[in-house]
This record gives sequence, structure tokens and C-alpha cells, in this order.
Amino acid sequence: MFRQLAISCLFAVLLLPADARTRPHYGGTIRVEVNGDPLAVPSGLARDLLFDGLTTFGPDGSVQPALAVAWRSEDRDHRWQLSLRSGVTFHDGSPLTATSVVNSLNRSCNGHCPWSVVHAVGSQVVFTADSPMPQLPALLAEDEFLIALTLGADGLPPTNPIGTGPFQFVSAVRDTVTLAANQNCWRGRPFADTIEIRGHRAVRDQWLDLSVGRTDVVEIPPEMLRQARQQQLTIVASPPVTLLALQLLTTSALANPMLRASIAQAVDRSALFNVIFQKQGDLTAALLPQQLTGYAFLFPPDRNLGKAIALRGGLTTASLKLAAEGDSAMQLAAQRLALNLHDAGFPVQVVPGNTPNPDLLLRRLPLESSDPAAALAVLMHSAGQNDPANASTPSALFRVEKNILDMHSIVPLLDLPRAWAVSGKLRDFALRADGAPDLANTSLESTQ
Amino acid sequence: MRRRSLAAAALIVWMWASFAFAQAPSPWQQPASALAGKIADLLGPGQARMTLQNLSSIPSADLGVIQKLISDDLRARGIIEAGPGSANSVRVTLSESATKRLWVAEVIEGDDTQVAMIDAGPVTQSLPQTSGALMLRRVRVISTHAPVLATLATPNGLVVLEPDQIAIYARSTTGWRKLQSFPAAQVQLSRDPRGILRSAANGQGFEAWLPGQYCTGALSGGSAAGVWIVDCRKSDDPWLISSGTESPASAVPGEVAPALPVQLPNGQTNVMVSEATAPALRAFYNSARNYFTGITVPNPAINLPPFYSAAFIPRPAGGYVLAIGGIDGKLQLLENGALTPVGGARDWGSDFAALYSGCGSGTQLLASGSGQAANDSLRAYDLPAFEAITASDPLAMNGTVTALSTAPDGKSVLAVVRTGADQYEVDRVSATCN
Repeated sequence: MFRQLAISCLFAVLLLPADARTRPHYGGTIRVEVNGDPLAVPSGLARDLLFDGLTTFGPDGSVQPALAVAWRSEDRDHRWQLSLRSGVTFHDGSPLTATSVVNSLNRSCNGHCPWSVVHAVGSQVVFTADSPMPQLPALLAEDEFLIALTLGADGLPPTNPIGTGPFQFVSAVRDTVTLAANQNCWRGRPFADTIEIRGHRAVRDQWLDLSVGRTDVVEIPPEMLRQARQQQLTIVASPPVTLLALQLLTTSALANPMLRASIAQAVDRSALFNVIFQKQGDLTAALLPQQLTGYAFLFPPDRNLGKAIALRGGLTTASLKLAAEGDSAMQLAAQRLALNLHDAGFPVQVVPGNTPNPDLLLRRLPLESSDPAAALAVLMHSAGQNDPANASTPSALFRVEKNILDMHSIVPLLDLPRAWAVSGKLRDFALRADGAPDLANTSLESTQ
Repeated sequence: MRRRSLAAAALIVWMWASFAFAQAPSPWQQPASALAGKIADLLGPGQARMTLQNLSSIPSADLGVIQKLISDDLRARGIIEAGPGSANSVRVTLSESATKRLWVAEVIEGDDTQVAMIDAGPVTQSLPQTSGALMLRRVRVISTHAPVLATLATPNGLVVLEPDQIAIYARSTTGWRKLQSFPAAQVQLSRDPRGILRSAANGQGFEAWLPGQYCTGALSGGSAAGVWIVDCRKSDDPWLISSGTESPASAVPGEVAPALPVQLPNGQTNVMVSEATAPALRAFYNSARNYFTGITVPNPAINLPPFYSAAFIPRPAGGYVLAIGGIDGKLQLLENGALTPVGGARDWGSDFAALYSGCGSGTQLLASGSGQAANDSLRAYDLPAFEAITASDPLAMNGTVTALSTAPDGKSVLAVVRTGADQYEVDRVSATCN
């Protein structure tokens, strides 16, 4: 399946206009349409253009410097010291300082941070924690920790989002967010003058707009990739960058680990893969994908209903609440999983995604880092769980992952790609490690 | 007697084969031995059934060899291969991630399964081959994780220009080794940063231009045993895009060529002059973008368009003409005070450099392009008049060509190639006549 995806990515690259390798042109407006809210916290598309993190994931998934230029850990990873890049300014012209970074970080995780305390020491930001944070640089690359200005020159919170990113906020009118090139961006001015992101746009309408030249970039959900290929859209797809997983609440109804083990055996990944997600992505029972670790095949993804019933052992539970984060495909997947669990003797009720504390939560977790240990740490943080023990060898990482999976608080289901369709006007359109478009480095063909 | 001779011959063949085998150990021997050691640690001496599956890119022809290597090593450690009825089994999987080979052994004793795994080295890929009429060939000079803007080979080392530093490499027995690096001035960079390196006038040091800054480098004492001194300062001065020394006709390394003549009284701009070397030309660079503004020193008295690349090429009748690759994608020649579009260059990329090959017309332009391929290629073109004529087959590169520059001797071109995220290599491209 990975090979299939790689081939389709290759086709996508071949379909892009590539008559000759020209240098990128400056100017013009790139128009984007998405289904979600462009300014949604933490992963709205506009946020990646407005803000920078202290670190970032490079296109290959490695952790790279961003607003921090260097870092070092002390006290066996209990304390980290990050040095800030000098000369960086926010969009309003105010300088980036260690204090502004600390204020932003404190607001972003609001007490639920991977660290105990963060404070400013001169131009350095210092993190301390009671337990070791071996993968803190990778965690800081997550969208959740993008740095925003929290207090303006007047001492009040700014009315518009202000960051240090390649584009600055211009307006948000109805569903369209308009951003303008940041001339003073520390990475260099982006190629496009303006980005217009239209949010809350149904995928079918996005495709229609692309076909009549009203937009340049549209989303392709994994379940619609096959259809997009049939319509011969110019597609750029990532490798699997999200893990579709079922997260189980380990308290109350599912406090018994045998019940959670039973649920893990009862889920039918093949049905999700074949029916809901139209054979896109990869079936998986591992947290990290095979192409990252090489050992994911040791976790077979097959359903074993007999074993699931045996593990349940006649125990009954109250009706379990199953919620799904995200779009209609996720809701359909939740319905399907509810049927699977019914087969194993679990009464399950599918509830809206915003239901508090559901027993089961179907969600997508990020797989951005190319370093398996860092990827696992980021994934576990996103799932609201502790940073796992650091593992430097494949064997050690396998043991850590197996221990996590044996708790059955996360049941991996599918590794899914992210995909976009683009107009022929774009040059050097590429995806970032998280599968989002790298619009700061994209240029338009017809501008100079 | 005859039987004895045959036996002796067979013995010689066996000894030769043994010797050859000993001389060329299998590349899988080390990982096979390491995995067998881990299996033995888990299983201990005894009997076990072994199976092998391949989830990696290792060719199936190698699987028999690998299985035999593991079995032999296990036997040496007291584990004998058993039939299907054995209570113990070892399931070996040759797996890999995107970058590394991982060999995994599942040791199954009854209901208990233990796992051992070893790192079996990086996943390797083969490189494409090319051929052509005027044959281009490339040799990798260095590969690095840092973005490379330009390189220059000097008698005292290889100079590598990076966005934030200048690195000096010294030749060692295994290739080029980084000797020193010097930070460049802190200026704001473009998203498509560029830079130029030129030999200093004395042929020993160098001059470097980066967006908004200018650097010089020289060896104290002027010899290879000296210490490099590099000085950078902020500068908006024009960049030296042709020093007039990049041709074989320049007998003295570093010889300063005559400046580009200014407009003549009859209104003609004498770019095409009968000189042994190409004229020197400086051009103002737009530091916030990625191109030259079109304003040059000396001024040819005609408005040049903004351009990405420019190179002098000699005319058969003598003198030089300036080829300009505009940001509008057009290739034009500046000759007799007029710009004339060149045909046959529609599929060129933004970068080109002159190559004094001595083949055909003697000088070709080497241009980048990607065609329908994922990676860029380089191709040589003759410009006998106002038509670019292919002079070689495309030479496939390992990634995207981000910079081209003519080497000081003019006989080769240094190409900077981005081969992956944060992976760069510098190739020296030269031509041989067919």
C-alpha cells in the first residue's frame, strides 16, 4: 500500500507543470479552500502561516531550529535551555523576546503543558519538569506551541492574531481569511504577495471552484483520493502523516483492561480501510508506521472476534459512548466501529464529537517526525498521555511501543495520508511534514 | 594416475573457490551473524525450525545466501535447524523502514514469543546512467547537509558558500574535508538564496557575494600552509558575474580582464570585442528577491531586463556575446547594442553557465531543466546564431539543480544539487568530445 501511495505521489509530481526548472517568481495571490476553520486552534491552515514555533519539523520530518536556534538539556532531560534567534520581530514590529515566548507558551497549554515551569532568562527560554522530557524539541514543533504575541504595545491582548510567520493577518471576512506577505520575515519574504483561505467550504464545492479557476489549492480527504484521481485532478499526496486511532478511557466503564483488550480485538480495520477510506492509507495495529520503524508488521492488524468475546469473558458494561472528531468520514467510521463492538457484545452509542469524556474517542493523531522516538513522544502527547521513556534502539523502542499497546488505551486503526489538488498556476507546491501545504515556499507561474 | 590428477585438480578448484569466498565476504555476513547471536541469546543451544520472509527491498536472489549465513552461524552456536514438528521456531523477517534495514527474529517457544532485532544498515539506491553525443559526465565533489549557494576550487582548497557561513575544505586522502568555517554577516535572506564566488585577483583567495553582503578570503602567507582569513561586511555593491577569467584563453590565473566597454559614439555598444578573455561584468542583485535587477557595471547603454543568469560566450568570428536568462523565461543575446531572443531555449531552466569544452564550436552553455522527470538534468547547447542547438544528451542529476557556475579554468561547471531535504551535493560537470 505504501508503494501504491509512493507511485501516486510520483504521478502527482509528474503531473505538475515541470517543463523546466525555473526559479520561483514573486507576487500574486494564492487562493486556498478548506473544509475547516482556517484559524482553528491548533491546526488551522492560516495559523501555520501566521506563526512560527521554537522548533519545526523539516520536510523530512527532522526537528530543525525555528525561533530557537540552539537547545541543550541538563539534569537528564529534566531541564532544557533554548536560545532564541536574534533580530526576529512580530508582525506589529515588536521584537521577539524570551518573555513574549513564555507568555505565549503559558497561554497555549494553559496548565496542561509537558513541562512544569517555563521562564525567561535573558534571551533564553528555560523549561523544567519533574519527569524527564527527552523529546521536548520535537514536542515544541507541534502546532499547539506556535508563538503568538499575547500583549500588544498598549499592554492589551491584540485584537488580531500576530505572530512572526511568513504572512501577516489582514482580515477575516465571512469565511475568508486574507493574509499578506511579511516583508521582514526572518526566513525571507514569501513568494506570494497574498494568501486567501476560504474556510467551511464543502469538498465538492472546492473541487468545482478548482475546475473553473476560482481557487488554486483544495483539499482531498483520503476517502476521496480515488475519486480525485478518476477526475484527473493534479494531486499532491503525503505519505501517511496521521494515525486514525480509537482512544479508550481507562476509567469507569472500561477500567477493566480485559474489556479494553477485547475491544482491540473486535475492531475490523479492513472494513474501515475498504469501505470508509476507499483503500487509502495502510492498515495498522502499531502506533508508528512500518516505514518509520521497520517493525510495525510485528503487530498484526487482523480482527479476532472469537478472542474478543473470550477476553470479554461474559462481562457486561453500561452503554459505551463513542464520539468521533472531525468530518463525515470519521462519523461513518465511528458508526462502523460501533457495529464491530456490538458483534463482540458491547452496547455502544455513537454521540456527537463534542460530547465530554466519551468512553471511546475516534481521532487522528499526528505522525510528523522522522525520528521514531520523537514521533512516538509527539503522538502520545497529542493523545494526552505522558512522554514515553526514551528509546535509542529499534529493540528498545519496540518494547516501549508494545508496553503502551498492551495497556489498550489507544487502538491504532489506519495510517492515513493528506492530499491536496492544485491548479497549474502553482510552482514548487510541496507539503510540510504534517501534510499541510507549504504555501510560503510556493510561487505562482504567471507573476514576476 | 588419471584419477589422482582429477582429485588434485578438484582440490585446487575447491581451494581457489574457498580463497575467493574468503576474499569477498558477503555484505550480509555481519548482520546475519549479529542476528544469529541475538537468537542464540534468547533460545540457547537446541533445535528450532527457521523460516524467513522478506519485507524489504533486498533482491530475492540474496535470500538463500542470507538464510544460509544465519543457519550456519546458529549451528556454530549450537542451534540445529529442525523440521516442522519442532516445538521451537525462529521466524526471521528482513524488514526495513524508509531509511534503514531492520532484521527481526521472532523466537517462539510454545506460547512464548520473544523478539530480537538488529540494524542491518541503510537502504541503498542505485543511480541512473546517461549517454550523449557530446558526452557530459559528472563527478561528485562533496555532499553536505547545509544548503550550498556556490563553490569555488582554489589552489589552496575548496570554498563552499552557505547562507550563513563560508566553509573551507582541504583535500584529504578520502576526498574533501572541512577545514574551517567563517560566519557571514547577519543579513535577511531570501527564500531562494543565491550567492557567487570568484577567484581573487591573485588567484589564491576568493571574493564572495551574498544578498546584502560581500566577503573576501585570503591565505595569510599566501601558501597552503597558511591560515585562512575571511572578512565579511554588509554591502549592496554589484556582484561580479563575469570576471573575465573563466576561459582557457586566460593564460594567467586571476588575470583581470578588460572592463566591458561602454557605449560607442556611433550608438553601438561594443559588447562583442576582440579580446582573448571575456569582459568583466558586475550586476546589481535584488537582495529581497532572487534575481539581478538588470542594472550592470559597466552599463551597456541599453536597458537589460531583470535576469536570473548571464554568461559570456565567444563568437566564431571573435569577441564575446552576453547571454541573459530573463525572469520572464526568455533567453536573449546582447550583441551590437541590441537584445535578440534566442530560439530553442523554451525548455531551459533559470540557470546556465558557460562550458569551454573545446568540442564543436568550442564553447557551450550548460542549462538546467527538468522536463517530465522528477530530478533535474543538465544539457549542453551550442549557440551558433540565435538558436540554441542541443550538443549533448541530458545528464541526469540526483535532484534539483540550485546553482551553476563555471570553474576558474572554464573547462568544467560546478553544479549545486539539492538531493533531498537538507541534503546537497556539489558535482563537477565536464564534457568529452565524441
